[in-house]
Amino acid sequence: MRHRGNSLVYFTLVVSLVLSVFPLYWLFVVATRSNDVIGEMPPPLVPGGNLGENIRRLFGPDAEAAHFARGLVNSGIAAVSVTVSVVFFSSLAGFAFAKLRFRGRNALLIAVLATMMVPVQMGIVPLYMVMVKLGWQNQLQAVIVPFLVSAFGVFLMRQYAERAVPDELIEAARLDGCTTFGLFVRVVSPALRPGAAVLGLFTFMATWNEFLWPLAVLEADNPTVQFSLSQLATQYYTDYTLMFTGTLIATVPLLVVFVLFGRQLVSGIMDGAVRS
Amino acid sequence: MSAEAPPRPVRTSPAPAGASPASRLSRWNRFDLHGSPYVFIAPFFVLFAMFGFFPLVYTAWVSLRAWDLTGDGGFVGLGNYSRLMGDPDFWNAVLNTLGLFVLATVPQLLMALVIAALLNRPIRALLMFRLAVLAPIVTSVAAVAIVFGQLYGRDTGMVNGVLGLIGVDAIDWQASKTSSWIAVASMVNWRWTGYNALIYLAAMQAIPRDLYEAAQLDGAGAVRQFRSVTVPLIRPALVFTVVMSTIGGMQLFTEPLLFGQGDVSGGSLRQFQTVAMYMFEQSFQNFDYGYGSAIAWTIFVLTVIAGVVNALISRRLRGGTR
Amino acid sequence: MSSLRRPALRTLAAAGAAVALLAVAGCGGSNSDAGSADGTITLTVKTFSQFGYEELYKQFEASHPNIRIKQENIAKLADYTPKLQQWLTAGSGAGDVVALEEGILVKLMAKPDQFVNLLDHDAAAVRNNFLEWKWKQALTADGRKLVGLGTDVGAQGMCYRTDLFAKAGLPTDRAQVGALWPSWDDYLATGKRFAAAGTGASFFDTAGGIYQNILMQQGDTTYFDRENNLIVDSNPGVRSAWDRTVAMIGAGLSGKLQMWGPAWNAGFKKGTFATVPCPAWMLGIIEDQAGPENAGKWDVARVPGEGAVRGGSFLAVPAQSKHPKEAADLVKFLTSPQGQIAAFKAKNNFPSSPQAIDDPAVSGAVNAYFNNAPVGTIFGQSAKLLEPVYLGPDNQVVGDAVGDALTAVEQGKLSPDEAWTKAIADARRAVDK
Repeated sequence: MRHRGNSLVYFTLVVSLVLSVFPLYWLFVVATRSNDVIGEMPPPLVPGGNLGENIRRLFGPDAEAAHFARGLVNSGIAAVSVTVSVVFFSSLAGFAFAKLRFRGRNALLIAVLATMMVPVQMGIVPLYMVMVKLGWQNQLQAVIVPFLVSAFGVFLMRQYAERAVPDELIEAARLDGCTTFGLFVRVVSPALRPGAAVLGLFTFMATWNEFLWPLAVLEADNPTVQFSLSQLATQYYTDYTLMFTGTLIATVPLLVVFVLFGRQLVSGIMDGAVRS
Repeated sequence: MSAEAPPRPVRTSPAPAGASPASRLSRWNRFDLHGSPYVFIAPFFVLFAMFGFFPLVYTAWVSLRAWDLTGDGGFVGLGNYSRLMGDPDFWNAVLNTLGLFVLATVPQLLMALVIAALLNRPIRALLMFRLAVLAPIVTSVAAVAIVFGQLYGRDTGMVNGVLGLIGVDAIDWQASKTSSWIAVASMVNWRWTGYNALIYLAAMQAIPRDLYEAAQLDGAGAVRQFRSVTVPLIRPALVFTVVMSTIGGMQLFTEPLLFGQGDVSGGSLRQFQTVAMYMFEQSFQNFDYGYGSAIAWTIFVLTVIAGVVNALISRRLRGGTR
Repeated sequence: MSSLRRPALRTLAAAGAAVALLAVAGCGGSNSDAGSADGTITLTVKTFSQFGYEELYKQFEASHPNIRIKQENIAKLADYTPKLQQWLTAGSGAGDVVALEEGILVKLMAKPDQFVNLLDHDAAAVRNNFLEWKWKQALTADGRKLVGLGTDVGAQGMCYRTDLFAKAGLPTDRAQVGALWPSWDDYLATGKRFAAAGTGASFFDTAGGIYQNILMQQGDTTYFDRENNLIVDSNPGVRSAWDRTVAMIGAGLSGKLQMWGPAWNAGFKKGTFATVPCPAWMLGIIEDQAGPENAGKWDVARVPGEGAVRGGSFLAVPAQSKHPKEAADLVKFLTSPQGQIAAFKAKNNFPSSPQAIDDPAVSGAVNAYFNNAPVGTIFGQSAKLLEPVYLGPDNQVVGDAVGDALTAVEQGKLSPDEAWTKAIADARRAVDK
């Protein structure tokens, strides 16, 4: 009985593993081959020997117009700044919405939610006009500053804090003479850590993968990584190998970040496992 | 950790009376208690006011005007909206959006819940499985477009290849509503299941282990524990994902666009064009910016309605389980 | 919920009003500074895809020591168009020279005030440097305002697979192949012969491309008359192009592929279709897609009917430019016959200037991958034979409606009659809003 349950668990997990990982693996395969693998039937599933050559092309004169290295650096700066800021401010606001009492709390929370319901593509032209007024066209801060807070983050942390921070903990800390902020730093933020790890992960990914807005406000000589990737195509023709190699390189930082944030989650689980 | 906090009487006044520094302290305390919530949420609202509010108002203003690539054509009142109400392409897009929402969200959240529950157990190679389930999040849209283009290709696609083995004729996935919806929904499910699973997983981590131990002592099996301990305790996360999926569903854009290889009209008969795609088509392909803005505001209103409906449903569910 | 939303919105309103004011009434948009103390000015040129101007910029800078040129290129037209719209709406960002693709230019012709009138900068003197229809496309109906000058044209040839033709018992020599199809009816007849041979390949890739080529040969108007009245259902040329295309679909000649999709791209290599209408720049793409192992299997012949052209671009000076005179000079230089020849050499953009087309550097051009086909002559004939066609500002929307309807016929979702009715209805709805 127990044994059957376990193999079902592993079966389900292995199936989702294969389904989830396949496109990523395929990305790797294409990046190691040449353009002719696209559209081949059956698709080649084994890596080839072109990865080094493809990477050289990516950073070489072939792809000069894409400014790929610049794109990587820009995206790195943007993603780190946005992630740090979003995690901090969202934890703060999420905690306030979940655990502190103040007048207008519900109305303000709904205001936060409502801001997410505006279709993103529509804001581009007016936001660009704001950037023109600020003189931020083609400046990196244009893809950072507007995103230093996130309604998604506030809502996520609010929902997380609701269960993860016990009320007794707060009361106890207050009795110890903590100010509200001290309470947040010393008592609340450790309890929020797994939720904050998830938010940090998502925020980093989202900033790294953002395309429409950087395209709108930046120019090709100062791109983010996704903008840069799109520049590897011409109007009609996409050099898939080059693009996949770029995508592969652009994915490496995400994997690093995943492991960094993921440790928070994993260690939590391990504690539980050890204890039980 | 929570077990360490000793039970103490709540809300005793810590400030000793009389001394002047203490009264300053108590004024500070009062501010700290009543003011700091606003300070904590202020950064969000300040930045939103700077960068989010103007676009919102501006879009509303443009939606009341005739405005195309050649510039502002003057005030037309609700003309764009009344045109929208009689626009069959718009209603078709609404139908597609709702259909895709149902096909994509329900299985996605259920699968995410199951996967999170499985990943919340002490199993072998845990890190590998977690990384794997999350792989779709790190996969770029370009890779998604190519891979799914290959999977759902009409002549040489893998899905049709497999169907051919069991004697099913090749399907032109883009040609009909049903087949295109299934294909797009599978893309959405693929991309976002791991994402939601991670949110559930984080919530499950916050559940104290002793609750499970207690349930175990009561003789509850794994499934029973899941239903009576896990699900009720991660309800905030469930509400979160339902609301976010509603918003994401109403704004669905990338996956159907990729499925159609960048065709913003979503198929020859607009089989899989969502409202967000229709908005983009009108604003940035037909350059009818005023009309596109009206669509944007209508999407906003529809999202609010969908959010209310889902909030009501989830409240009903909550009452039901209790 | 409504009772909850109201205070929420009020809060938002209060919070944002101040900033909205700031944004609207703030400092007068001081554009990125284009002039400097020593009198040097920088001209920003906005382009998409590949215009092949790098050498020309250097020449221009050499002859104009006080001018620097900065090109900002976006690879995909689909990414460029929303940016263009955003620059024009915001009144900033468009730089000094913008590239306009044909479909966008005809749309902008309805209200040309956003661009400098090039006639004010002596453009009349270069009129004879352009094919007449190319010049007229950027000229307002009253002839008083010139929005842009032409760069390239999408002159068409008909690319075909020699190995598939041989298999079907058809000639493979490009002169003989061209002789197979003086008209589109002959092309249909050839297609039927090809299909009967059962090679396993389709005769052409997709009906949309064929239709477009037939349409552009049907007289001087397509969907709109010169007063911009919609004539899609009364213009016999449109119906005739439609009927011929539908006949080809009915004969099973179409591969029903989506242009630029993966299956279409792969088709060049695998030979899933035997012919494809191809503009000059597509030859490079075919070479890349089909790969070196298929060298010589592709060749190019004349297109059926009397010449054909699709697309092509223009350069214009936005009214936002701080240096309209210098920008206009640059546009004239880049679109001059010498400029067009250089762009053809650099990136295969086929010239819209008759002098450039007749220049040995263009007319003598051959393509090694295509069995040394004399592409300069083939495409040059095609460009010069075409009679000017008037498109109208809403051309693209109507064209999309008709194209989608054709695809629905290919997919078997609609009968030809249903599809036609739907296309007309969609076109009407798109035009009278």
